[in-house]
Parts: sequence; C-alpha cells; structure tokens
Amino acid sequence: MFCLHDVELTHANGFVALREIALALQTGEQLAIVGPSGAGKTTLLRLISAALRPSKGRIDLLGGDPWALSAAELRRLRTRIGVAHQAPPLPPRQRVVTAVLAGRLGQWPWWKGIASLAYPVDVTGACAALARLELGERIFDRCDRLSGGQLQRVGIARVLYQQAQLVLADEPVSALDPALALQTVKVLCDDAAARGATLVASLHAVDLARSCFPRIVGMREGRIVFDLPVAAVDDVLLSELYATEGGGLPLLAGEQPGTVPPTVEAGLPRRGTCWR
Amino acid sequence: MVILWPLGVIGEFRPWTLFEAQNLRVMGGFLAAFLPPASGGEFLVYLGRATLETLAIATAGIALAFLLAVPLAMASTQALSVSRLGPGAGRRRGEWLRAVLRVVLVVLRGLPELVWALLFVRVFGLGPAAGVLALGLTYGGMLAKVYAEILESGDNRPARALLEAGASRLQALCYGLLPGAAQELTSYTVYRWECAVRASVVMGFVGAGGLGQLMDQSMRMLNGSEAATILLTFLLLVLAADALSGLLRRQLGEADGRAGALAFGRRTLLWLLLLGSALLGSYLWLELGLAALLSRSALTSMADYFGAFFPLDLSPGWLAAVGWGALETVAISALGTLLAAAAGLLLALPASGRYGQAFEQLTRFLLNALRSVPELVWATLMALAAGLGPFAGILALALHTSGVLGRLFAEALQNAPPRPRDALLEAGTPSGIAFLYGTLPEVSPQLIAYSLYRWEMNIRMAAILGFVGAGGLGQLLYVKLSLFQYAQASTVIAAMLLLSVAVDAGSAWLRRWLASPGG
Repeated sequence: MFCLHDVELTHANGFVALREIALALQTGEQLAIVGPSGAGKTTLLRLISAALRPSKGRIDLLGGDPWALSAAELRRLRTRIGVAHQAPPLPPRQRVVTAVLAGRLGQWPWWKGIASLAYPVDVTGACAALARLELGERIFDRCDRLSGGQLQRVGIARVLYQQAQLVLADEPVSALDPALALQTVKVLCDDAAARGATLVASLHAVDLARSCFPRIVGMREGRIVFDLPVAAVDDVLLSELYATEGGGLPLLAGEQPGTVPPTVEAGLPRRGTCWR
Repeated sequence: MVILWPLGVIGEFRPWTLFEAQNLRVMGGFLAAFLPPASGGEFLVYLGRATLETLAIATAGIALAFLLAVPLAMASTQALSVSRLGPGAGRRRGEWLRAVLRVVLVVLRGLPELVWALLFVRVFGLGPAAGVLALGLTYGGMLAKVYAEILESGDNRPARALLEAGASRLQALCYGLLPGAAQELTSYTVYRWECAVRASVVMGFVGAGGLGQLMDQSMRMLNGSEAATILLTFLLLVLAADALSGLLRRQLGEADGRAGALAFGRRTLLWLLLLGSALLGSYLWLELGLAALLSRSALTSMADYFGAFFPLDLSPGWLAAVGWGALETVAISALGTLLAAAAGLLLALPASGRYGQAFEQLTRFLLNALRSVPELVWATLMALAAGLGPFAGILALALHTSGVLGRLFAEALQNAPPRPRDALLEAGTPSGIAFLYGTLPEVSPQLIAYSLYRWEMNIRMAAILGFVGAGGLGQLLYVKLSLFQYAQASTVIAAMLLLSVAVDAGSAWLRRWLASPGG
C-alpha cells in the first residue's frame, strides 16, 4: 500500500519535524499511531496523504513515487486517499449534505460537482454515511449549527462517502465522549475491513488504539520509537513513550489502560433516522 | 505652507478668476437658464432612452468584467494553488504565472475606464460598445484583484483539504471557498455595479453613449434648462442605484429560511431571474453586435490602430511636458482633496445631527447632491465658471469629494464614543471646545484615513479631468489623440499607468506606516 524509506521532513523554518522514518503497510492493514503531542503524528499522516513532500528519503504510495507523477496523475492519486482531520476543514456556512458529498468531488466530472450545489445529487449516499455516525437527521443543517463533536463526525462521514483505498485519520475522535469515540473508531475500522481498504489513524487515547487496532506505532520527537503488534505493546513501553509529558497515560475518560469501556460490547450502533 | 504654495502655483489656484466679469456673465447666464428645467415631450423621450442606455451599459459592462474576472481571480489567487501542495512540481511556474497575471491586472485597472473608452471610441465609433468594453476591462481588473484578495483572506483550509483530496480548482472554489466568501464577493460586485452606473454616466462625455453624451451636447450648446433636467436625472439615478445596491446587500446578510434538499429558497430564485432578465435586457437594448466586433476586419483595424501607439515618443521635450502634466495632476488632486476635507468637515458637523433634525436633513441632501454629480460633470461646469485649466479641475474635485467625505465624516462623528465629550460638557466646557478635545481626537485617525483614500482616488480622477479641459495629463492625452499623434499619446498613457502604480504602492506603504505602532 505504501512504504516510507528513511524519510526526513524539515519545515521551511528549519525545524526538523520527522527524521529517519521507515514504515511499510500492506493493503488492508490497520495501524494506529500514538505518541505525545508534537511527536510528528500529523506531519507523518500529511506525508502519507501526499500533501507534504519529504525533504529527504523516498516514499512509495499506491504503487509509485507520487512526486514523480504529473500534476494530473497526482490529482488522480489523491482522489484515492481519504483524510479525516482533527479539526474538520468544513466551511461554516456549508450544509452538511454538501460537505459529505464533497468527498467524491475528485471522482466526479466537473458538471456533477456544480449541479450538486443547486440540488444534492446523492442524498441517499450522504444519508447512509451520516446514519452510520448517527447524524442522519442533521443532513440539511448548516455546519455552523453543529457542535465540535458533530462536526468531527461529519468529516468522518465525508471520508466514508469517499470510499478511498487508503484512509488516514488524524485524531478523528478527539472531540467525542468516550462511548461515542469508541463507536466511531469502530465504524472506521469496520468500513475499512469491509472494503479491504487500508486504515491509518493517529490517536491520543492509547486504550482506544489498543482496543481497536492490531498494530501500533509509537512516535516521539519526530522518530518512530516502536512498531509492534498490539499484544507486544504493554504499559511499560507506553509509559516510556509518554515519559516527558508527566502524569499518567492519555486515556478515554479515566479507564485503566487495557480495559475496554463497557459500551464497546453494548454499543451496538443505534442507527439515526434519516430525513425523508 | 512650504508644500502648499508650489502646489497652488502648479495648479494655477486663482480663486479670483471665479469673479471675473466675463466668467460671471457666462456662468450666470447658464445658471439662469437652469430654471425651469427642460420638460419638453421629445426631450424627455431622449432622456428616458439615454437613462436606460446608461443602466444597460453599466450592467453589460459589469457582466463582461465578471466573465473576465472569475478566471483571472481563480488563476491568480494563492488559495487555489495546486502546485503549492507539497510543494509539488511546477511550483516555480505557478508563481511566475501568478506574478505575470498580477501585472496584467495592474495594467487593466491602472488605466481609468475613461481612457479605455476614449481609445475604443476611435475603433468602434461613437456608441455604447466602447463604454461596455471599457467598463469590462477596467472593472474586470479591479474585480479580479479584489476577488483574489477576498478568497485569500478567508479560511483556506477547506479548499486546501479538497485540493489534497484530488478536487479540481473549480470544485475547490465552489465547495471550499464560496460558502465562506460568496456573500462578500456578491456584495462587492453589487457595489461595483453601483460605481459602474456612475462611470457610464461619465463615459458618455467621450462619446460612449448614455446620459453623458446627452449632457455633453447640452453643455456645448449652453442649454441650461436641458442640463438642469439631466443633472436631476443623474441625482435620481445615482440615489436609486445606491438604494438598490444597499437593499441587495442587506438581503444578502439575512439567512434564507428553507427546508428540503434544494440549496436555495424562493427569494434567491427570484433575484436570479431578475438578474438574468436584466442582463438579457441590457444586451438586447444595446444591440452590441458582438459578432461584428470579433470579425476579421474589425480585428485587423483594431491591431492597426493599437500598433500606431508604438513605439512611445520618448524625446526629452515631450517627456518634460508629460512630467509637468503629471505634476499638475498631482497638484490638482492634492488641493482638491484638501479643500474637500475642510469643506467636508464643516458640512459633517450639521450632517451628524448636532444642530438639530432640520439641519441634518438639509446638509445630508446637499452632500448627496454634491457627490451624485460626477467629477467630470463638475469639471465641465467649473470650466465655464473659472475658465479652462487646472483650477477648474481643483474646484470639480473639491465639490464632488466634499460630498463624499462629508458623508463619511458625518458617519464617523455619529459613531464616535460620546463619553469623552459628555464628560467635558458636564464639567462645564463650551461645546466647541468639548468637540475639539472630546470627539475630534477619537475620530481624527479615521478622518485622515478617509481623506488619504480619497486623495488616492482623486489622483486617478485628476488624470482624466483634462478630457473636458481641466488640465493635467488628461488634457495632453485628449489633445494628442485629437491630433492623431498616437506616439505622444501613448507616452501620456504610460505616464498615467506609472502614476497609478506609484499611487497604489504609495498608499499601501502609507497604510502600513499608519498601522504600525510608531505611526
């Protein structure tokens, strides 16, 4: 799916955000990235989504070096990658349905995108994506009427609707309460598994990463500290990773690491009803 | 004084000429003929047609400008740059392209629409086509620049995220930028339409159709009663355009209540229909015959015509004359603005309502009347009153600008916090002193900023007032074009362009300087 060879990224101001990154992922794999804030998780995801160009090293993405492609080919490549942002970049005055449908803009011919501004071309599809996150009834609301958590889920609905082969999620549930956070990450994982898509998520809550992902990468100060199957990631390892932060490990509300919040099993998705 | 004296000499500032017997007689006779305004049936039909033509020119011109501005803005704004992602391949090329486009925009809007009109009239003959094209080019440049700035000033993350997900520029614009910027963009376009109505009135003076052409004829024949009616029509038209644009912009601010999947409500649909019919109506009314404009013979004659402008005449003698013309232009604008600022402040005091309701209404009407008559019309009137030359230009600028500044000043005074002044009044300070100590310090930065901004506009305006004989670069250009001496004319045009660019850069620098804490 993708492979990073000794990648380094230096920002324009000279700050080295990533160094000596080597990471490879097979198609259909699911990976969580954890680490203290400022570790370079977001930058790494932006590298993988071909939004940032590495200053050193090589990146293979969906079968080739994206930075050797022509502009048109790069654009086509980018349509196959979906990103859920921590603060979803949605215009406040846009309607939820438009924000979700925008996920497939890259795959649509230009006239379809324009027509959809006047009358949404795929209300059913947008509604289905929103319903999986229990937001079906907000489909015709404007984004500025939503709370931060709801907005974050609209961003995720957009990625679900995009049906990308590679899904990247940058702290996608940071504004959600623990039960909803877990349920939402599950939706992302299930969707990727069902479609055979690859999923990479950076997560702040380590217990969430451990309960949902088979493979975990720990990052600190721009480096990958460990890259292990979930069974090998224990509290000692994590405590070392977060040693500089002080206090305990960052968890979903106050649970012990490793224990799973009770809502996981009970939390069968209560499907929201759709407008219609 | 050190600065003012030379300015006065260059601008031939001679107030006493106003009272010379001959000028008084001409002006007096002309003004006496104002009453009663002409109201003959045939003349009113002419007037009605000319008014409609003016509106149609403005509407068609803005439509053309819009068509020109959208692709230019999309290509020149950084907010929609694909090559900056990464950064990817072609970034250097993208930056070059944007820089070149910016220069094109500077040239388009650097030359006043009146100059373009004057040039086009010689290609397409007298009539509205020249006016529409002139408006389209100048306003196209202005709209493109402001559109690009509006797009860059908002939150760019949505558009960037869409580009990163492989959306095209157009899609990123529609889905990422427009939701946040549409209101401001529309509001600015409506405002520009209002300006275009004023501009198209004026362009008639160089033969580009509409009310201005009618006014020019009446003035040449010193037909005061017709001129009075036309001036009244100006006033009504400008006030109506003002009101309509205000109404439109207020409507934009309100949320359009609706339910369901359709993205817009009934009212938006109504406005769109209205807009469509206005565009179609303008196009049909003007009988532009765009096909004829783009025919081979028209294109070759255009190429021949513009080819005659090169190479520029750069002989020292002519350069000196152009330099003097530019100096005269700057002097006219500086003195005109200074007079206007003083008069505007005096008028703003009653207009802000501090001497009672009656005075407020009266001065507001006076201010509206002053500013609704375009500078160029004032200049033709003042050329009668004070004779041809720069002094007429100074008076014309001062009259129009005092209307504009008076209104802005009055609003600033009304919005000034009342507490400092009230505190002084309660302490027994006379009201005049309380104004100087309590209100003026609060508003003076704003007043200065407004005056500087108008000065900037007046430099451009002073460059074209010469078309009706009010001195400066415009007079040189008009004379040379009339004599078919195109090489000299193009030197004057280049000088206008340089002046405009210098003003742009100077005002940008001044704004930064004023905004900095030391300023």
